[in-house]
Amino acid sequence: MNGPLVDRLAALSPGDRRLLVAMSSISLLALLGGIAGGVGVALARAGWIDLIPEAGYRLLTLHGVGIFFYWLFLVQGAILLALAAGEGGRGLVGRGLGWAGFALVLSGMVMSLGAASGGTPLLYDGNPELAAHEPGRLAAFNAGYILLGLGLIALPAAGVATLLAAVRRAGSLSAAGFALFAWAGFLMVSGFAMIYVFLPGLLWALGLGDMPANHGTNWHIVFHNMHYLPLMATVIVWYVLMQEVVGVKSIFGARFSKLIFAAYLVFVPPTSLYHMFLEPDLPGAVRIAGSLLSLFVSVPTLTAFLIIVASLEVHARARGGRGLFGWIGALPWREPAMAAAGFAVVNMAFGIVLAFVLIQAELAPLLSDTFFVPGYFHFFTVGTVSLSFLAALALILPALTGRGLALPGVARFMPHLATLGLLSFGGAGVVAGYLGVPRRVIDAGYGGEAPALWATLMGWVAAGGLVMAMALMLFALSVAATLLPGRASVAAMSPRWDGTAPPRPGAAALVGPLGVLVIVIGMYGATAAGFELMRALPVEAVGGGHAH
Amino acid sequence: MKFDITLIFTVAAVWAALALAYALAPWSGMIGYAWVWGFGAALFLALGLALRRAARIGEGRA
Repeated sequence: MNGPLVDRLAALSPGDRRLLVAMSSISLLALLGGIAGGVGVALARAGWIDLIPEAGYRLLTLHGVGIFFYWLFLVQGAILLALAAGEGGRGLVGRGLGWAGFALVLSGMVMSLGAASGGTPLLYDGNPELAAHEPGRLAAFNAGYILLGLGLIALPAAGVATLLAAVRRAGSLSAAGFALFAWAGFLMVSGFAMIYVFLPGLLWALGLGDMPANHGTNWHIVFHNMHYLPLMATVIVWYVLMQEVVGVKSIFGARFSKLIFAAYLVFVPPTSLYHMFLEPDLPGAVRIAGSLLSLFVSVPTLTAFLIIVASLEVHARARGGRGLFGWIGALPWREPAMAAAGFAVVNMAFGIVLAFVLIQAELAPLLSDTFFVPGYFHFFTVGTVSLSFLAALALILPALTGRGLALPGVARFMPHLATLGLLSFGGAGVVAGYLGVPRRVIDAGYGGEAPALWATLMGWVAAGGLVMAMALMLFALSVAATLLPGRASVAAMSPRWDGTAPPRPGAAALVGPLGVLVIVIGMYGATAAGFELMRALPVEAVGGGHAH
Repeated sequence: MKFDITLIFTVAAVWAALALAYALAPWSGMIGYAWVWGFGAALFLALGLALRRAARIGEGRA
């Protein structure tokens, strides 16, 4: 592995580049379609457009299926294969497997979205009871997810083959290469989970089995992976971007980075218990164990955050960066990828603070069916994960196509704007959740019967949603412009720092630890506020079995 | 590479223990977790073995 990643990507064979470009293009289409569905739902909830509930739920289904499943997983496949090919430096091994995986995912997308476009809206979890009278539709919907699952086994297998070939040549993997290897394995397990969860519904629809009785419980297996797999991928993307865009490698060494990447796979599965907090028959001891285990879930993410921020700070100070925060200005913010990754880190902090409120056994039953959930998880899905993946594409696609982003000077401000929109959407959404505004309803005003404050908060949610949707779409379109023939060639990137230069002796790295301290204080504050606010509400929690 | 391989085998071991715990859990309906984490344990074991084999070939060439 020699030279910058963009040079290694530019040197890939036309066949490899075609596959990576095709996957990236379809993932961007899924993102844009999903955003459009989400905007429709947000506007309808605020009462700004009039939708019959069925149309609203259909948009919600298309939003969830398009973004959670096809954008997030297809783009992960594209980024994984691109970085794996870059790691080896000799192109993809098993490209046919990659194409087969892509064809499976694409077929799945057509089937899932096609089935979601008519009939009873199934929402993204495809509850079979909703389609009890439409077995054909459920068959198509579930077959789509099963094809996606098969694709998620085939696509990463091509990445694994590529990485193993690199090890056979060089005898070792870089920290990023090891992370890609672990990520590929986790993707394949998620593919298996998709098949395991959605096969019973397909068999029932085809008359080959009974109606699945525990889809809700099984759904959380997929859901847990959907939550943490993109987050692991995001941290890997940050790690690579800091090397490729800024030029900085971890000051803690490759070995420690590998340990943290492996920690994702050690910490994430045992924490899956917290999804069961709404199950009324879950024993109390298990509930307590789940609550304690859930505390570990952010350990790898926060540690990776510390590694990256501390490494950047130490190198920035070696280059003359001054003041507690002054060094941050030295980062190459004019690069859209840097701006997107930078704001992704900020949004992750908000997301983690709020996530910890929701994974506590006492609060989960009260909040899980409220608008708190979409309020907090958009900080992750839009603000952290989608921005990071778009940042990765902003690096990868120009290298593959030789064409630059459209209006990069505008694109680099879109992460700022998306974060602003998120603060309105997520902030108002979280407050609405604390006040009991339900999620998954299209008319949140209940025909004028709901408290007046609910309508005001949903207005802030819709306004923020519009802003973040517009910003994300513009950033995605700027990246997508690299796919259009005849566009200008890629502009030179900002000069990278000399990441191999030794840091200044005694240089302090304070912002990372300070950031973690602020996050912990925020978690405590959000939890205390949650308890205080809900004690004041005349409601009593009952087990629902939905979770989030 | 020994460190990398050990990490992958550790993941396989943790997932196997988790799958076993879910398989033996007395409350119902969570056998799916045992299947998924069990599949994961087997997969990471296979990945660890493949990585060890590739590393031996690579070290032989070096």
